[in-house]
Amino acid sequence: MAAVLLFGILAVPVAAGALAFRARSRRAMEAINLIGFAALLLLAVALAAQVLRAGSVSIWNGFLAADSLSALVVLLTAFVALACSIYAVGYFRDDERNHVFETDVLRRATISSLHQYYSLTPLFVFAMLLVALANNLGVMWIAIEATTLASVFLISFYGRATSIEAAWKYAIIGGVGLSMALFGTILTYYSAHHLVETETLAGLNWSVLVLNAPQFDKTTMKLAFILILLGYGTKAGIAPMHTWKPDAYSEAPVPVAAMLAAAVLNCALYGLIRFYVLTTKCLGPPFASHLLIIFGLLSVGVAVPFVLVQRSFRRLLAYSSIDHGGIMILGLGFGGALGALGMLLHLTFHSITKPLLFFCAGNVEQHLRSDLFRRAKGGIIHSMPVSGPIFLMATLAVTGTPPFSMFQSEFTILRAGFGGANFFPAILMIVLLVAIFIGFLVHIAKLVLGADPGLPPADSCPWKKYSLIGLASVVVVLGFWLPGPLFELIQDAARVVRGE
Amino acid sequence: MITLMAAFVLVLQIAMVGQRWLVTNIRVFAAQSFLLAGIANTIAYFNHAPHLYIAAFLTLSLKAVLLPVVLERLVKRIDIGQEIAPLVNVPLSLLISGGLTTVGYVVADSFHHPEDLVSPASLGRNTLAVAISLFLIGFYMMITRRKAIMQVLALLSLENGLFLAAISLTYGMPLIVELGIFFDLLVAVMVLGILVYRIKETFDSMDVSKLSRLRG
Repeated sequence: MAAVLLFGILAVPVAAGALAFRARSRRAMEAINLIGFAALLLLAVALAAQVLRAGSVSIWNGFLAADSLSALVVLLTAFVALACSIYAVGYFRDDERNHVFETDVLRRATISSLHQYYSLTPLFVFAMLLVALANNLGVMWIAIEATTLASVFLISFYGRATSIEAAWKYAIIGGVGLSMALFGTILTYYSAHHLVETETLAGLNWSVLVLNAPQFDKTTMKLAFILILLGYGTKAGIAPMHTWKPDAYSEAPVPVAAMLAAAVLNCALYGLIRFYVLTTKCLGPPFASHLLIIFGLLSVGVAVPFVLVQRSFRRLLAYSSIDHGGIMILGLGFGGALGALGMLLHLTFHSITKPLLFFCAGNVEQHLRSDLFRRAKGGIIHSMPVSGPIFLMATLAVTGTPPFSMFQSEFTILRAGFGGANFFPAILMIVLLVAIFIGFLVHIAKLVLGADPGLPPADSCPWKKYSLIGLASVVVVLGFWLPGPLFELIQDAARVVRGE
Repeated sequence: MITLMAAFVLVLQIAMVGQRWLVTNIRVFAAQSFLLAGIANTIAYFNHAPHLYIAAFLTLSLKAVLLPVVLERLVKRIDIGQEIAPLVNVPLSLLISGGLTTVGYVVADSFHHPEDLVSPASLGRNTLAVAISLFLIGFYMMITRRKAIMQVLALLSLENGLFLAAISLTYGMPLIVELGIFFDLLVAVMVLGILVYRIKETFDSMDVSKLSRLRG
């Protein structure tokens, strides 16, 4: 059973990618993606149920393994992938209608652009799933690097000068960052190699390393963790290594940007958490905590001025993502039972809420043919009766306003901060979050509300409309009711983070 | 023997910093990778680590032959100016590289455990220092080079430093990880190569400092 699940989760996206590559028509590609990701979500739910019932599962001598933390990340990745694939159908059809692609008589350019999206996206998702399921830290690094490589051409998708610029920065900054993470992985291996059998593959397996972590070489492990934090922090877009993020998020097609923000962020943080557990077991909590708190506060702080004076709403979302990455890092840094729980709750809620914000922004951008605030004269709500209000609601949800779920997770993280005697960072975090809330809300309210500028009505595409309404209902429900099994899974994953 | 070869690797890296011509730079990188394969072979032979032969072979075929050929073709195809035009002038760059090498030695020193004689690190402490220096100098090159293709080359030489660190510290990573890293490297160079080509087509230049339209 476990073997079928783990293998199936990795095989489904590969198969979907290959089939989409062979497909001839747009309709076929859309169907393959939808069916593939729906099947993936079912498998991910089954895996989570299996892990909850029977504990961790592994196959092939522990080459692939899933504990509750991996199961949570797989579940969220599958959810985001499905939501994005539903939205993508409407999004790219509208792109085609707006003549965004260079077209020749036979529509060949359009089809080849769509080919690129529909066959690279499953590969991209496959790499993310492998990150969560690989037990070997070296293989995990390879998978994270693969997420970068698979998404470079998705970012340069539109072929504009600016999108090529964004893709280049993404590839180069990501490449350098990940080389630091590789160095950190090598050093971890070195600090452990006198304990476990090195010549075999299992020498880098997390499940083996975690048992021996207290005997690791301490100096080496310190350096290793710093390198890992810088490396996977770059991938997660933690300040000051965040510079690729606004460019990539504003230039990529909306479904890709949503996946980068809601799923890749999780994978990078997942990699960081695995090393965090090893480091705290080896050196005790303070060393990692101090570093994490500094980087977390820096990320939240860096986001503030850019949110306040932002000119483009797509870039605004990127700074929001830097801010949320920082909040999660802070949760990890505050530590303790509450910190770990708050961080994972935030990770979950963020993955579910963020795509909604991206979809709204995408609808408005396609409507206005621009993502600059000054091009919009306000009053979007008059021409977009669905996207407009949901955009406002999603903004409130993402900035952590009650009753939405992200308020609960941010509150949990703050309680961890105050409980763990991190008064100053926690107070600073509140101040910065309030500033971001104000900036964000003012921008989006100005965009959505106001007098009718007389734009033609939009919001007619059913794919875009219903993916928005569906996801919005999930976000609303989540504010009041977190399903029991999901909460159990998160609690269980929090125990993994604390190394129990 | 290993230390001598490692020293040559470092010399080549610094030569790359001081080099003005693009094609020569690619060839220096090829020579560096060739030496690295030699080091891997030597370590494999003396320490009975058979899987390192495979890593050595891959280094030789990929980094010393295939990638340089691909990169040189790319240079010819897009017909760019040969000179590199770094942001920092050559003498100062060389001085900084020297400084970075010192840093490498200081950092490597903290790994030295005199009591721990069986550790491979005691065998190649100099090698580790060289590896860290390669990494830092590669990093420095990334920052100061304007030509897109030079950044790719700097990334590759940085990766060479990592490979050297891996073989000198632990006789290499487990084989499947090593294979995966090589595969990633190959794909990365292909992806970056295509991007370089498109940058050239779109901006009519390879100067990445022209990529500055996205701000804020």
